[in-house]
Amino acid sequence: MNYQYIEQLLDRYWNCETTLEEEQILRSFFSQADVPSHLKQYAAFFAYEANQKDEKLGEDFDRRILAMTEEEHAVEAKTVKFSTRIAPFFKAAAVVAVVLTIGNIAERALQKNTVSDTTVGITDTYTKKEDITAKIKIIDHTRSEAMAKTDSLKSQTPTISQENLIIE
Amino acid sequence: MRLIRLTIREMKEISFKNDVLPLKDKLFRLALRITLNREEAEDIVQDTLMKLWNQRDEWSAIQNMETYSMTICRNLSLDAIEKKERLNISLDETAHDRPDTSQTQDEELMKQQQLNTVMHIIGQLPEKQRTIMQLRDIEGKSYQEIADIMGINVSDVKVNLFRARQKVVGSINKEL
Repeated sequence: MNYQYIEQLLDRYWNCETTLEEEQILRSFFSQADVPSHLKQYAAFFAYEANQKDEKLGEDFDRRILAMTEEEHAVEAKTVKFSTRIAPFFKAAAVVAVVLTIGNIAERALQKNTVSDTTVGITDTYTKKEDITAKIKIIDHTRSEAMAKTDSLKSQTPTISQENLIIE
Repeated sequence: MRLIRLTIREMKEISFKNDVLPLKDKLFRLALRITLNREEAEDIVQDTLMKLWNQRDEWSAIQNMETYSMTICRNLSLDAIEKKERLNISLDETAHDRPDTSQTQDEELMKQQQLNTVMHIIGQLPEKQRTIMQLRDIEGKSYQEIADIMGINVSDVKVNLFRARQKVVGSINKEL
């Protein structure tokens, strides 16, 4: 058998003149069992390189690495979850506080304007015209009563005359 | 802004499990070729992968994940052997296992001894040369790819590959 082609390829290989495809041809040739004796010493070299291709890490390596990265990923996720969970509550609390404060102020302001306990409920709703007219009459009456009372209170309050003021 | 970044990342999504972790065997072979030590090589692969994982925010900026990974792996391997050389520890562990081929007739055993001799020959090469041989012969990389991984130019790759192969064929003819 003529091994001239292989021998030429080999020479070019040691001189780095071969392409990747030609190098593959050499490897395939030397991977077969029947290598001529004058080329056998090169078989060991190519066999060694073929074995090296099979070197790999085990599956437990994969598991270990994934465990390490998942640990970090979980910590990341946990941290994010916590702060994003809290934030809306703080926002809600702030809104509630504002509403309560406004409500409080409004309530106080409304209380100041009330004349007596017999004030007509502002929230009362009326549908019939007669009812409304009747309610207005009551409001008017209450108002004139309140004004009369204020006037009487005024007259009862003693006025301080200039002479009675003792300036020291 | 964050929403936009998230969307872009999803479009170019590189998965650690499916895209990075599968490089482990190539990285192991490279680290093994450089350090000549299995345990050390495995540690280096782990370090390489964790380094890549910690850079996951920048993955979209990486042109070629494989080239980038192998560069990191090589650099870590070089650090490891540099440390050993400083401590004057011999890298080549096969030195004391040199086979006496004259004694045995058993073909299987002879084959194994020949493989050990080849391993020793390659182990004796300077790191640059044996790394180039590894990337060319075992990983099937082109000269340009090798140049990219090692941060050298193509002519440098050719010169060193030539030196490596010439040394190998000379040793084979002498010893086998």
